[in-house]
Order: sequence, then C-alpha cells, then structure tokens
Amino acid sequence: MTIPGFIVRNALRNKRRLILTVLSVALSLFLFTTLQTALHLMTHPPTTEEAALRIATRHRVSLANVLPAKYQFRIERMPGVRYCSKFTYFGGIYKDQSQSNFAQFAVDADRIFRIFSEMVVSPREEEEFRKEKTACIVGAKLLERFGWKVGDKITFQGTIWGCDPELTIRGTYRGQGIDETLVFFHHDYFDELMGDRGLVGAFWIKAGSAEVVPGLIERIDAAFRNTDAETKTETERAFQLEFVSMLGNVKLFIGSISTVIVFTMLLVTASTMSMAIRERSREMAILKAIGFNASEIAGLILAESFGQAMTGGLLGCLGAKLLFAHLDIYKLSGGNIPMFPVTADVVALGLLVALGLGVASSIVPARSTIKATVVEGLMELD
Amino acid sequence: MGIPLDYNLRNLRVRWRSTLATVVGIALVVAVFIFVRALAHGMESTYVNTGDERNLIVLRKGSTAESSSQLSREEARRIKYLDGIVRDEHGEPLASAEIIVLILLERTGERGTANVLVRGIGPATLALRPQIRITEGRMLRPGLHECIVSRRIAERFAHCRVGQSFQSGKTTWHVVGIFDARQTAYESEIWVDADEVRSVFRRDFYGSVLLRPVNAIAAESLKQRMLADRLLNIKVQSETEYYREQTQSAGFFQFLAWFLAIIMTIGAAFAAMNTMYAAVGGRTREIGTLRVLGFRRRQIYASFLLESVMLSLLGGALGCMLSLLCNFVSTGTLSQTTFAEVAFQFQVTPRMMGAGMLFALVMGVLGGLLPARLAARKPVLDALRAV
Repeated sequence: MTIPGFIVRNALRNKRRLILTVLSVALSLFLFTTLQTALHLMTHPPTTEEAALRIATRHRVSLANVLPAKYQFRIERMPGVRYCSKFTYFGGIYKDQSQSNFAQFAVDADRIFRIFSEMVVSPREEEEFRKEKTACIVGAKLLERFGWKVGDKITFQGTIWGCDPELTIRGTYRGQGIDETLVFFHHDYFDELMGDRGLVGAFWIKAGSAEVVPGLIERIDAAFRNTDAETKTETERAFQLEFVSMLGNVKLFIGSISTVIVFTMLLVTASTMSMAIRERSREMAILKAIGFNASEIAGLILAESFGQAMTGGLLGCLGAKLLFAHLDIYKLSGGNIPMFPVTADVVALGLLVALGLGVASSIVPARSTIKATVVEGLMELD
Repeated sequence: MGIPLDYNLRNLRVRWRSTLATVVGIALVVAVFIFVRALAHGMESTYVNTGDERNLIVLRKGSTAESSSQLSREEARRIKYLDGIVRDEHGEPLASAEIIVLILLERTGERGTANVLVRGIGPATLALRPQIRITEGRMLRPGLHECIVSRRIAERFAHCRVGQSFQSGKTTWHVVGIFDARQTAYESEIWVDADEVRSVFRRDFYGSVLLRPVNAIAAESLKQRMLADRLLNIKVQSETEYYREQTQSAGFFQFLAWFLAIIMTIGAAFAAMNTMYAAVGGRTREIGTLRVLGFRRRQIYASFLLESVMLSLLGGALGCMLSLLCNFVSTGTLSQTTFAEVAFQFQVTPRMMGAGMLFALVMGVLGGLLPARLAARKPVLDALRAV
C-alpha cells in the first residue's frame, strides 16, 4: 500500500464523519464567500479604465445643494475638458415607493454616453433619444425587470423636485460590469418642468487624458471660489469612495462576522480531527514502533486534515460561484442588488482560508500523537 | 424511570474537549444571529422612538422625507395659524416650520468626512419634542450663528464640542450646547435657527411643519381642512407614521440575520452531529450495559437526544451572554433616504435571545436525532462485545 493510498483509506474509514465535516466546512465557506463578495461590492465600486478620465463637480456644502447651470459654460471652455454634462439626481417614484429602488438622472442627452462610454447604446436608439425631448434611455436589466418595451411611456412622481416627468423609452444601455438599472432623461425637459430655474445637481466631466485630471480639478474649484456656490470637484473614484465611507461600520460588521465564521469552522474541524486521531492512537503507536518518525506522522495527519478542509473549501467556494452565476440576483432581491459577481479574488481568499484551516486543525492532534510514547499509545483502549 | 440526567452531564464533562468545541461553535452562531438582529432592531427603534403620536407632520405632496420636501413660506404660515393647534401661554401655536440641509463634516481623528443633517428649528421645536434635553451648555440664540449638536455628533465629529466652531456654507457656526436625544433619529442632527439656515444655504422655502393638534378629533379635522385647501399642495401624516416609513434601511440587516442564521444552523448541526456520533461510538459498551440493566430502547434514544439538546442549549446560553456585550456598542451608517449618517445603538431584546435559543435547540435536535437512533438500535450482545 502506498502512502497516499494509506491516507485516503484512513480519511474514508469513517465516511459519515468525513461527509459531515466536509459539509459543515463547505457551508461555512459558502457563507464566507458570500459575505466577502458583498463586502467587495460595497468597498470596490465598479470601475473601468474610462473612470480615470472622469471627474464630478458638485456643491461644496453637500450633494443636496444645487449649482447654477451657467457654470457649465465656464467648465467647458477650460483646457483639457472633452465633455461636460449636467447631472441631476431625480429620485422619483415609479408606481409605488417599494418598487422605486432605482435612480433616475436628468442629463445632457448629446453627451452623457460620450462621458460614460462603457454604457453601450445602439447608434439608432441614441439618435432617437437625442431627437425627442421627453425620451429616456433605461438600463437593460431595469427594462427586463418591469417588462417594459421600447416605446412604452413611464411616469415618475417627483419627491425632491416638484414635477412628474412623463417619459417615453427610446432605448436601452448595456455594459460589462456596470449598473444596468438607471434611467437617463433630458435635462432640458427637466428644466422646462421646473420653470427654467437654471439649477443643476452636479456636473460630470470627461478629461482628454488622465494627466490633465489633477490640474483640472484644481482649476474648476479655483474658478468658483468665493462665489455663492463654491464647488467640490473630485475623481470618480474619490466620489464613490465617499459613499463607501458613509456606510460606516457596516464594513467592520461584515468583516467581523466573517472572522467569527472562520473561527467557528476552525473549532469544528480541529475537534473532528482530534477525535479521529484519538480513536487511532493505537495505530499511531504501531506506526511509530515500525519506524515512522515524528515528521512523517505529522505529515500523515496534516495530509488528511488538509484534504478534508480543501474538499469542503472547494465545494463551498466554487458552489457559491456557480450558484450566484446562475441565479438572477437582481430579480430575487427585488431590484436592491443590481449584480453579485463572485470574483476570482474572493474564491482564492476562501480557498486560502480552507488551506489555513486544514493546517491549523492538524496541529493539536499531531502534537499529542508525537508527544505520546509508543507504550502509552498501545495501552490506550478506545 | 428514565436514564438519570446526571449520566449525560458527566459524559459531557468527560469528553470536555469536543464538548467545549461544539458549545463554543454553537455559541458563536447564536451570538452572530443576535448581533445582526440587534443591529437591525437598533436602527428600526431609532426611527420608531422618534415620532410622537400627538404630533402631525406636513410635507409637500409626493415627498417621502423632510430633507427632500419643500413648503413655501406662505404655506408654512397658513398651516401654523390654522384652528385646532395647541397654543402656548403667549397665544403662539405649537407648530414649527423646519428645514433640513445636508452638510459635509469632518469626523474626529481624521477619518474622513460624512454627511450630517442640519435642522433649522423654530421657537416651538423643543416644546414639540419633550424627550430632548440640553445636557451641556445652553440653547442656541437666533441671529448669532449658534448651534446645538447631539451628544453622538459631538463624539463622532471634529470641532463639535461646546465652545468650538466649524465652517460650513461660508459661515462659522458656534457650538453652544449639546443635547441628549434619547436614542431617537435626532441623535444624528445639528440644530440651528431655521431662518439662519435658509439665508446661509439660500433656501427660500421650508421643508416641513410639525404641529400639535389640541386632541385626536382636532387632528382629524385639521388633516381634512389642510387636504381640502387648494392653496396647500401638501401631504399630512402623524409623526409616528412618518418615522415608521423611514425605517426601510434596516431591511437588509433583517435579511442578513436570517440568511446567516439558517445556513450557520445547518453547519453547526453537522458539527453537533459529529460530536454526538463520536459520543455514541465511544460508549457502545455502556449502551449495551444500560440495556442489560433493563433500560428500554426508547429511554436510550431519549437520553442521547437529551444530551445533544443539553449541549446545544449550553451553547445557546453562552451565545446569548456573548451577544449582551454588544448592547453597549453604538455606531452609525448611511441612511438610504437622507444620505446622511444615522447613529444608533445595538439593542438586544429578550425575544431575540429567545429566537437564538430556538436556533440552538434546532441545532441540538437535528444533531442528536440520527446518532440517538443509532444508539437505540444497537443490538445488546454486539454492544457488549465492543472493545
């Protein structure tokens, strides 16, 4: 019998225990992977190469304060600016409040998809959107969720702004790894409804190259310093991270829950491993008697424990990856979670935890086996 | 007569290593469950405690939150002087036109910035919210750019102690007092004079009017009159109802709690099962002896199941004790409706602990059923022969 064969036989001799341990490790790692994915989604907003070129300008006091629309002319004339679009969060209600967990924005129709070029709209649809003042473009997932069709009319009831835009869907946008649940409509139409107040929530700007971005940020804020509405300009990344930081301790909670899960797993596997080895103390003593040295014995125990943890780990991590890849999370969560991709990084982290688990849970049984003398081991009864 | 409980207790003690591992494992599962529920409950009760059922709140029609509502000055005045509102000793109505603005403030210890709600208040504000007490310093005086801040804000944000001042909207605000909001949503607010806020942040409108009707009948008639008034484009609801609608952000944590609890319960039940199988396997001879002594299969079944339940309840109790520690923790997170930080305190309730113990019980029963059946079915002679 070969050494690997011996290890496998030993691992399989109590199949029930093996299955139970593997399953409990698998479930825990499934949870771990899920939580880490959620954490990753919260702390790493989706980003693309294009994002490095984008900056947002908004009121210095907070996002809820508005800027004069005329700022756009000054920003557009600054060197390095390729496109600049008005961008006002509408925050309306579609039908009833419980369904309205998606955002609508009033934008400059001819520029928005130049600035956010990862949102792909067919040229024909974009043309139609541009031509018609009350047209809108919606995310593909949102269209599917409500069963809308291109050409449908949708109305949003304003909560922040006292107007209710009636829009016609003229197309959809799609894109790899981006939020496909937003609605974009004409800022001109919004202004008309609001009585042309000349106010804008924010501006999104696309720079000609990444090098000019820092200088541009300085220049924009300097241009409006000491006006009634001072601005705060930042990169897309910084803008998103500010929201992340406002999540406050949620990150910490999810992190600590993950740690507790890992620790619980460690208790379970370590205790099963100890049980398995304690039951075999006579055999271990015989192995020692026929000449196996301490490191070889430790190796046998480690291999068994490692195999058990890794099997559970693979099952849990890959299971989570497969499950979430095949579930329509957007629909299941009632529109609260646009996407839930389990990344390779998270799977790798999960497997690393499983590996650590395998090693750590072999330590106690290996030590006690090595410490026991052959005679003690042979005298052991059960 | 059943097998004495003492037998099971001693067994748990003899196998203390696996007992301890299982008990701690179960305790952690229960503690995580209670912890997340306590978080969700803390968030919810912050809002639920905030409303006063005697008060009515008026917002613009279609608005869902004070921060996004707009009422014109004329509307606010018209509402304040309607009949049926409590009057104070000077004949002024107990009604307050208020406004909310968001400002960006620096956190203590250079940990970045966060949005904070600033509430512009009027003379009737405190009378409408008797739960609020100024614990340090004094009430603000209008016209001097003074503000009072909640105790939590004073702790969590820089330059918010009494005597300090911070900059926002090209104005320096002087902190003159700290108020204790008794774990309501006001714990996350800074209060300044409404007219100062409106001029500094250039708002020519108010956000809401909070008012106290004379009694419930007057409240109903006030509502009818306001809604019928064509000069008012408003919605009106009781303050408690308004805050109940603000609690949606806790939904995620409620979901998380159950999701975690169910999956981890199954995982922990597997672990308990392992321990119990090992317990049964190691005691084969004892089981045989018990049968020879005259104990029935049923009694052996009950005894092992009971042992598993004892194991899990021990874990559950430990988990509940662990979770009580989080009662002292307070924290903050982003509100989905106002985009500002809400502070709240974890709240462990007896019900949650009950639910946690129930989960532990489920783990014990699930983990014990099969091993107990195995023990009860062992043939006597085979059992006695086992080494």
